[in-house]
Amino acid sequence: MKKQLMYLMLSVLLVFLVACSNTNNSPAGSTSNSGNETNSSSEVPAKSNEKVKISFFNTSAEVNTIFEDLMKEYETVNPNVTIELIPTPVGGAQLEKFQSLLVSNQAATIANLDAGTILQYKEYFLDLESEKAKYEEYTMPGSVEAALLDGQFLGIPWTAQGYGLLYNKRVVEEAIGETFDPKSIQTRQDLEALFETISAKGIAPVLIHGADWSIGAHYLGLAYSLQSEDVEVNKQFIKDLQDGTVNLAENTAFTGLMDTFDLLAKHNLRKADPLVADINQDSLDFATGKSAFYFMGDWAWSIVGTLEGRDEEYGIIPVPISNNPADFGNTQVAYSQPKLMAIDKSSSTPEQQQAAKDFLEWMLTSESGQKAIVEKMGLSMPYKDVKAVSPNVMSNAIAEFVSEGKTINIGVINYLPQDYWAKTGASMQKYLTNYIDRDGLITEVSDYWKSTK
Amino acid sequence: MIKRNSFKKIGTFMVFGAPATVMFFAVIIIPFLVGLVLTLTNWDVRTQDSTYVGLSNYISVFNDKVFLTQLWFTMKYVFFTVLIANACAFIIALILTSGLKGEKWIRTGFFTPNLIGGIVLGYLWATLFSQVFPYLGKKYGWALFETSWLTSTDTGFWALVIATAWQLTGYLMIIYIAGFAGVPKDIIEAASIDGTGYFKMIQKIIIPLAVPAIVVCVFISISRAFLTYDINLALTKGGPFNSTELASYHIVQKAFLSNQYGIGQAEAIVLFAVVAFFALTQSYLLKRQEVEA
Repeated sequence: MKKQLMYLMLSVLLVFLVACSNTNNSPAGSTSNSGNETNSSSEVPAKSNEKVKISFFNTSAEVNTIFEDLMKEYETVNPNVTIELIPTPVGGAQLEKFQSLLVSNQAATIANLDAGTILQYKEYFLDLESEKAKYEEYTMPGSVEAALLDGQFLGIPWTAQGYGLLYNKRVVEEAIGETFDPKSIQTRQDLEALFETISAKGIAPVLIHGADWSIGAHYLGLAYSLQSEDVEVNKQFIKDLQDGTVNLAENTAFTGLMDTFDLLAKHNLRKADPLVADINQDSLDFATGKSAFYFMGDWAWSIVGTLEGRDEEYGIIPVPISNNPADFGNTQVAYSQPKLMAIDKSSSTPEQQQAAKDFLEWMLTSESGQKAIVEKMGLSMPYKDVKAVSPNVMSNAIAEFVSEGKTINIGVINYLPQDYWAKTGASMQKYLTNYIDRDGLITEVSDYWKSTK
Repeated sequence: MIKRNSFKKIGTFMVFGAPATVMFFAVIIIPFLVGLVLTLTNWDVRTQDSTYVGLSNYISVFNDKVFLTQLWFTMKYVFFTVLIANACAFIIALILTSGLKGEKWIRTGFFTPNLIGGIVLGYLWATLFSQVFPYLGKKYGWALFETSWLTSTDTGFWALVIATAWQLTGYLMIIYIAGFAGVPKDIIEAASIDGTGYFKMIQKIIIPLAVPAIVVCVFISISRAFLTYDINLALTKGGPFNSTELASYHIVQKAFLSNQYGIGQAEAIVLFAVVAFFALTQSYLLKRQEVEA
């Protein structure tokens, strides 16, 4: 009796082990299956009846559900395609997840990634040269050009963002007692005078979000993009920083930018405790008029737009870096296509790649796709004749600068090492809290760049 | 007969030991060995290049001043966390074994923080430290709380210690309660008949007899505190300006953000050695204090 029980348990265990090893084999099994599919499809040209399964890796985590709805809609129109969303957490371990998928040969067919990340992993992505002409037609002039990475079209642009000094129209106009013309601020002196006026009314003129990404990547990052309108010159500037042949203390764009930073820091709502950096709280305080300006971008709308009891009208002005209105940057806002849609070539079949291309084209050019991106996600699309009206007043304000060509191309950040914002952001935080002075900041930032050589 | 017996033994092992052994090898031993190999290469996920580079990763670890500062920072953090968590757990366990009314409910209350994930707990404390305390501080003029604790290095350190100790205390308390329950009642009765005072009783009878519980608690708290990651991520994100990065956090940043996998993994091995050294030394030293009732 006992012996029988033992054999029974042993066989259960064996089944368990076999089952385990089977699941271990299954990824390999599925690849061989898909390999077969490739073969059969090359033999049979009419492959439209074949089912294709693709996956979508999304780093715009705050809009996961909107993408999912779009995929469902696409699946009902194209029953042969199933799309699976691989979500990532907001501000969480996105890159780690991406890397683990790559290494385990399960890379997602489509990846919505930061342009810089695509460049770093460019070996894994499909060159979309064949699609380039088509998207040049669809998008605004210069949009595809700005998305090129080392000259290659690896990612399709789908959203554009801009940043600078957002302002709360009601607060500014109440302080100055007249209609506010954003074009009236073109120099640091103009900004200082306006700040003094607002300050005299007992309202904090500006709010600096003290997170490393905000003051490291967005604020200090401007220094690299303001060197020239030409991204290649800016890339050379980074190389010079790495070689140690350029002195930041003598660089007018950098010193001008930091002089303005001192001005912002002096009038900062969070002056007593600048590093709290709670994005919800900061956006709330700006939207309810506790500060007149906010160093942030149009993505703040995703928080501001949902708030109760907020002010209605917002606009944006550039960060002035000198007292000469003609200097580059004083009348231009920073503008970029932060995320691109790339297609994997490391572990996807040609069918999957084609399905991915079709889906992306549908999503980016159809009315329901554009409506979802513009109206539901609140993003602005760098596309011609967008069939949707954005409720995002911040990105609409930026669109005015874009249409006048008054933008700073911050494309150089795509070529920077992935940790630059965390490392130089930490130095900026030290500077903001007077833990180090300007010389200390220059030393730390220069040392960082030399260490990345 | 002998053969049958040994077959039976193998069978028994297969049933009870094999699944655990397989799992242990699959998720601990093999990754650990692969990790060891990784430290000898310059592997990079972007290029999939892995050239053998000898011990140069370890040399970079010991030349990385930031890592060494953070390792020292981590040791200070571990020291205070272990001290505070164990002291609190010990005292609470003493109180909650003294026959208080409703002590089971109170035990549950103290244990609950352990059931909350570190990330949630970190955000909870982050709200307390950066919103609630400053609000109260400003309202009542408590200088200590007027600014957020998470924005300066010193207070950020203590915020981390408090949050971790708070989470650990409930867990350790349960172990201490079990330890105290194992102290024979007759000895305590005999001692109290002989006129032993309360503190004398704790010092001379309860502590010596609860040494096994203390060893376990200190061991658990040392290893858990050294490997803290989630609370660090959610509470301070290593900030302000990377000054509250614990060793694990630094390692993850090094590998996944700076793409220096070999060096990051070598740092993990160094951390492993440090944790093993402290945890084993303390249990060796404390175990010698064990007495029989």
